[in-house]
Amino acid sequence: MAASMSVSRGIQWLGTAARRVTPLGARAASGLRKDMLPGPYPRTPEERAAAAKKYNMRVEDYEPYPDDGFGRGDYPKLPDHSQHGRDPWYDWDHSELRLNWGEPMHFDFDIYTRNRVDTSSTPVSWNTMYKCFFGFFGFMMFMFWLGQVFPSYQPVSPKQYPYNNLYLERGGDPNVDPEPVIHYEI
Amino acid sequence: MSALRRLGPFLREGGRRFLAGPSERSAGYGLGGIRHAGGGVHIEPRYRQYPQLTKSQVFQAEMLSATLWFWILWHFWHDSDAVVGHFPYPDPSQWTDEELGIPPDDED
Amino acid sequence: MNNMLNTMTLMSITTLTTPLIINLIFPHKTTKLPMYYKMAVKYAFLISLPPLLSFIHTGQESIITNWKWFSINSFNLTMSFKLDYFSIIFIPIALYVTWSILEFSQWYMNSDPNIHQFFKYLVMFLLTMMILITANNLFQLFIGWEGVGIMSFMLIGWWHGRSDANTAALQAILYNRIGDMGLMLTMVWLMINIGLWDLQHIFMTKMNTLALLGLVIAATGKSAQFGLHPWLPSAMEGPTPVSALLHSSTMVVAGVFLLIRFYPMMKDNNTILTIILCMGAITSLFAAICATTQNDIKKIVAFSTSSQLGLMMVTMGLNQPHRTFLHMCTHAFFKATLFLCSGSIIHNLNNEQDIRKMGGLLNILPITSSALMTSSLALIGTPFLTGFYSKDPIIETMNMSYINSWALTTTLITTTLTAMYSLRMIYFTLLNQPRFIPLLTINENHPNLKNPILRLTLGSIFTGYLLTMNIPTTYMNPTTMPPMLKMSTLLVTITGLLIAMELNSLTNKLAAPPLKHAYNFSIMQGYFTHLLHRLLPLASLQMSQYIATMLMDLNWYEKIGPKNQMNIHTTMSSYISSTQKGLIKTYFLSFIISIPMMMILAT
Repeated sequence: MAASMSVSRGIQWLGTAARRVTPLGARAASGLRKDMLPGPYPRTPEERAAAAKKYNMRVEDYEPYPDDGFGRGDYPKLPDHSQHGRDPWYDWDHSELRLNWGEPMHFDFDIYTRNRVDTSSTPVSWNTMYKCFFGFFGFMMFMFWLGQVFPSYQPVSPKQYPYNNLYLERGGDPNVDPEPVIHYEI
Repeated sequence: MSALRRLGPFLREGGRRFLAGPSERSAGYGLGGIRHAGGGVHIEPRYRQYPQLTKSQVFQAEMLSATLWFWILWHFWHDSDAVVGHFPYPDPSQWTDEELGIPPDDED
Repeated sequence: MNNMLNTMTLMSITTLTTPLIINLIFPHKTTKLPMYYKMAVKYAFLISLPPLLSFIHTGQESIITNWKWFSINSFNLTMSFKLDYFSIIFIPIALYVTWSILEFSQWYMNSDPNIHQFFKYLVMFLLTMMILITANNLFQLFIGWEGVGIMSFMLIGWWHGRSDANTAALQAILYNRIGDMGLMLTMVWLMINIGLWDLQHIFMTKMNTLALLGLVIAATGKSAQFGLHPWLPSAMEGPTPVSALLHSSTMVVAGVFLLIRFYPMMKDNNTILTIILCMGAITSLFAAICATTQNDIKKIVAFSTSSQLGLMMVTMGLNQPHRTFLHMCTHAFFKATLFLCSGSIIHNLNNEQDIRKMGGLLNILPITSSALMTSSLALIGTPFLTGFYSKDPIIETMNMSYINSWALTTTLITTTLTAMYSLRMIYFTLLNQPRFIPLLTINENHPNLKNPILRLTLGSIFTGYLLTMNIPTTYMNPTTMPPMLKMSTLLVTITGLLIAMELNSLTNKLAAPPLKHAYNFSIMQGYFTHLLHRLLPLASLQMSQYIATMLMDLNWYEKIGPKNQMNIHTTMSSYISSTQKGLIKTYFLSFIISIPMMMILAT
């Protein structure tokens, strides 16, 4: 609830900010009001400065998305950091979202909220994690295969083989007939 | 007048509470120092010492452990088969013909 | 006799609903409700005892069908209860454990403003589990199955003000949903191929590997087997009584129970049995590895649950459903005790869950310490405690069976690890010097805390014996084996204890952990969550975001819509404009078009 309220408040704020800065008459792409949408892609340094000011950012930090036809306009391209990685002890204005009032939000903010994707740094490098986990999994799978090939059981009597208990294969003398073993009597 | 007199005890008690300031009961309330987890025996908190234990508490704990060990040892004494094996595992090579009911070879 | 069995079992289930109805009628009279809930569960337990006794004496099973919902051709949907060996024995156990847990919650959740709602959720959780256990057709089973899932979601996310609790609840429901796909697959398969959902009719037919695989997936999700396990340790974000209920007698055993229910279908299918066996073995090993280095006391117990569930799966893979069921029953007792003890410790230490900040509790919480020791001993399978009666036969049967040798090895390693992490937990919480803050108000004399723990501890000493002595011998055939194999269970356990002693004494030396990679692997839970919880949601969310917010707009509103129109029109007009030159010839030529048009229309 709090999250959605603050998000909507953020959008409203963006809208008012945009209304203050950009001239009306920009094209509405969909349901959003035109004053809620980002302005046109900034081309001159002055436009950049104005856009940065609109999004409460410093000019050095401001970097718009490339103008590739996706219609993101002058929306700032923020680093892909999740909210989970932010300082949990800082007194955020929206403690649930770990966000300050008026702070620019990531374009895909709803991907990086705290119960979705986490991009905070891990104690172990990505590469090591990969290798360890898939190494473990692969090893287990290989061993299960091996275990399936050589199963374990408790034999109750010695194994019996055909051809007179593999007489020739065990290096018996082919000229001498082996003594037949009779396991039964009729 | 009587209405005012009826307010008397209220004012007296309230004033006393007000003047006495925060009591022990209400002091830790906001800070979360006192746990209101329920009734039972009250044990005074102590600093850098183990809290006082009640007799019944110790008795019950000892009783529980005693039951445990009694149960284990009693069964080891009377029922150790369950751990070390009920009866020896049969070794087929040791079986005699007599046991298996096989008549001797020279019988005809 | 049969009437008594039916009536009393149904009465016991109905008793559970009375406080729920009271709450519906008087929604504002909430002060005494927790008490009512507890009493209702207690009476339900007492009522369910006569059927159990009669079952033990006569071995009579029954099916109650009392209400027909609808029927399409030969397909009937009825309300039908199956009272067989599994349900009659498990109902009293679940009720007994829940009764203790509810009493404990009266102490643990005392300061919660919505305590009556918490109790309501717990009782509904139990009720859905009862429905699942007694269900005689798949539809009823599915109601129980989903009910357990949704109630676990509500309970894990009880402290919904915390983002972590919300995440954990979402994880639980999402992972369970993957499992539900499996159950639905089986249900649909049965509907198409057999057209029946009644268990007794299904058991007369045969199910193929695909349908059984659905069941296995369902059990994997619900019982947190490897691959779908991360929700189980995350579920520790919920209140401790929830963890106790979730991990002992409801929810996680539902998956295993489903497989037990369907064992007549599975016993001839070797592929499925092998899959279950290997999955159980890898789960139990993985969870045990993770449990060895966790520092959160509840996480240790959670991973030990996961490990024991793996063991139950292994037993299912051995085609021994009755031994699985026995382990499920005994596990309920000592796991509930372990959770209640850790709850008592956590609450008394002002919500401290880190075992590195405990220690010396033997002198402070004697009853909890005794109970924790007893239940840990039961968990590692000390002879003649509850765990022994179920765990020992399982490992003996494994030793004697013709099975995958690596599954056997892993199970033995797991047994060693069980002893290791149990001893580690005891060592860090109960023994040594205290490491918590010096001023504490520790008190474990409240009857609502003491009695449930004592009751469950007695349960985890005696139940194994009582159960094995009283259940019909047709289900449990004693085996004989070479003495070495007989002793192997005990030997691996003792080895584990010795290794744990050595490792624990190492911790005093402040040395860097040996085997850094193994240590990291273990403490970060096998990197499973770190890898998959970051990659998969990011990929899918980003893709769906792009499709929903960018590509759809781009395509419909621009590329296909206006822009496409514009393109078509400009091309067309540029073609046509070449004719607009003011030449009378071209205008006359355009009249010729009408002649072929008329000819086409005429023919």
